Amino acid sequence: MQLRDKQRIAILSAYALALHGFESLLPTPIPWLRLGLANIITLVALILYGFRTALMVTLIRVVLASIFIGTFLGPAFILSTGGGLASVFAMGLALKAFKNLFGTVGISLIGALFHNLAQLSLAYYLFIQRIEAILIISPFILLIGSLTGIANGIISDILIKNLLKKDREKIQNVVHS
Amino acid sequence: MKETIKNTTLADRLLFLFLISLSIAGIFISREALSQESEVVIEIDGKPAYTLPLFADRQLSVAGPYGNTLIEIKGKKVRVKEAHCPNQICVKEGWISKGVIVCLPNKLVIIVGGSNKDQHPGVDAVTG
Repeated sequence: MQLRDKQRIAILSAYALALHGFESLLPTPIPWLRLGLANIITLVALILYGFRTALMVTLIRVVLASIFIGTFLGPAFILSTGGGLASVFAMGLALKAFKNLFGTVGISLIGALFHNLAQLSLAYYLFIQRIEAILIISPFILLIGSLTGIANGIISDILIKNLLKKDREKIQNVVHS
Repeated sequence: MKETIKNTTLADRLLFLFLISLSIAGIFISREALSQESEVVIEIDGKPAYTLPLFADRQLSVAGPYGNTLIEIKGKKVRVKEAHCPNQICVKEGWISKGVIVCLPNKLVIIVGGSNKDQHPGVDAVTG
């Protein structure tokens, strides 16, 4: 891994960590309602810098955030790690397999979907073990996940376009001077 | 933002529509499935005497201090059809699909709710 990659991972992880921490401070009307803002950074990392960077950023974010919030190795940490890993692997695969089919928003939706599916299965196998409870709650989680997935996808897309534009301007300035 | 929405691919939009319709359908299906599981519990003098499924229509006569009370289950709803208590509050309550009908003079309580055979209390889960 090159120094530039390490710097990128460090900066992106810091952003993701800040968003994750900010989100955990927000009061939510329902305990399982989360915005998944940190997924914006994962998605940007994935599309601009590739799967390895995105995976590293997710792992660093999940572990450090749980240490800061105080849930390290607890149930919340297991759910958070499972969801984060499932979403980054699903998005990485989707980007590789259907590159021309889905845009940033579609990839974000896939990430949100797999994040929720992984969390629901983990919650079922490890903690709740009542299939009716999971079946009742799943549609609501999938609905909210799709809406936040769309919103995060749009934000990521705007962010990626602006970053690429800035890059291009920089290159042009170098060429012109 | 407008540009981003305009630039979404067909697959993006189809996926979104599919997920939204799937989850909305899921909400209704799970609600329907839950009501299939609902049970009517009839308690006499504080003790559960009968447990009946809500989806099977039937009539039941229960004895009490004021004579027999006729309970009717029909179309996933329950009512007290006939009672010989003085105030007739239970009869006036009419059809219910969820909740409780109480007839104090007859010491009769009818509870309608999801089956709770294997419920265990405790924290479900906390995410972070």
